[in-house]
Amino acid sequence: MIKIHNACKRYSGVNVLDNVSIQVKKSGILGLAGPSGSGKSTLLRCLQKLETLDDGSLECNGKTGFMFQDFQLFPHMTALENIVYAPNLSDRSAKRRRNNEKRAREMLKNLGIESKMYEYPESLSGGQKQRVALARSLMVNPDILLCDEPTSGLDVATTMDVVSLLKSVGETGVAMIIASHDLDFLTKISDRIILLREGKIVVDIKTEEHKNPVIYLKKYYVDD
Amino acid sequence: MISNCYYIGKGLVFTLQLMFGGIAIGVILGTLLSILRYGRVLGMLANGWVSLIRGTPLILQLSIVYFMAPSIIGVRLDMLSAGVISFGLNSSAYVAEILRSGVESLPKGQFEAARTLGIPDFYMWKDIILPQVIRNIWPAMVNEIIALLKETTLISIIGGMDIMRRSQIIAAEQFEYFMPLCIAGAYYYCLVLFIEFIGRKVERRMSHDKNS
Repeated sequence: MIKIHNACKRYSGVNVLDNVSIQVKKSGILGLAGPSGSGKSTLLRCLQKLETLDDGSLECNGKTGFMFQDFQLFPHMTALENIVYAPNLSDRSAKRRRNNEKRAREMLKNLGIESKMYEYPESLSGGQKQRVALARSLMVNPDILLCDEPTSGLDVATTMDVVSLLKSVGETGVAMIIASHDLDFLTKISDRIILLREGKIVVDIKTEEHKNPVIYLKKYYVDD
Repeated sequence: MISNCYYIGKGLVFTLQLMFGGIAIGVILGTLLSILRYGRVLGMLANGWVSLIRGTPLILQLSIVYFMAPSIIGVRLDMLSAGVISFGLNSSAYVAEILRSGVESLPKGQFEAARTLGIPDFYMWKDIILPQVIRNIWPAMVNEIIALLKETTLISIIGGMDIMRRSQIIAAEQFEYFMPLCIAGAYYYCLVLFIEFIGRKVERRMSHDKNS
């Protein structure tokens, strides 16, 4: 599904991605761990074609959806409008638009924020914005969902909600790549975790093969 | 006094025509320029235009449009058309700059979010970027309209009978400057107060639309 070969990206002479090679063959949740500046967000942005690689190749078969760290909801649109705007642009018929709206309402209901559908982003909490952003990225029917720091700025309870939400999305067959510096969160949710440091892959593990992946990953996370 | 007020007030329509015409051209052309500035070749042309207009006096631009039009396009423009065109072209550069600052104040992520959702450029600008930008730049746009209203007084250099010109005529005829100029000032001040009032109403409406 995704084949990244020797990906390199430099900003002002600094290697942000340094010969990164990753293959993702089937659905499942891949966690990208690493400290700030390790290149995980850049890798996601390259996969979404928001950035281009300086070297190497990147093959991504399937439609991608992207969840931004700061959600990037459109502030002048209600939660419902945020979700249905893009699909309604391609679906011109009234019937299809009604179906989109019905689907969006169901999605908001399942995400527990049905009552907020006519609210503007500024009046939503971080967790509610997160849910709207998730619904918006799922409305384009992605094969692969790319999430950049989905728990950044969220409290513990909301983070737990996000874990179950993303897990339920993963169970529908949508492949996910989640970038986060939060190892606890990533080990709860991912089937596989890749740890990046200074643009290089340091560790690539399957979480089920480790008794305590957090402790294992922490050894590589910080300097000796 | 009343007859002076009446005579000077007859210039109100002409002043308003210049202002509305100028701002209409300014907004349309300024919006176009601000979007073109994101292109490569057209962006250079748009930037050049903005720089040229901002770098030369309005009185010069008005003189070029009015006095040189016959030799360039072979048609002698009337004072209203020359005024509307010059004020519109001049305003377009300032509107483009206001819009640029508005666009640059938006997070880059708004453009990226639109792209990741597959929203075409036209709809991205129309439905995502410009509505946010207009809300942000509205106070600056009201300022531009007020500035343009006051700049319309320059029409008197080509003989346009606006409020200012009429007050000068009265002053010259009656050898009395204080009262006619005060009357002209009162007209302009009332117009500015009216523009500010409408501007605030629209601003409240925009924030009400968002918060209702």
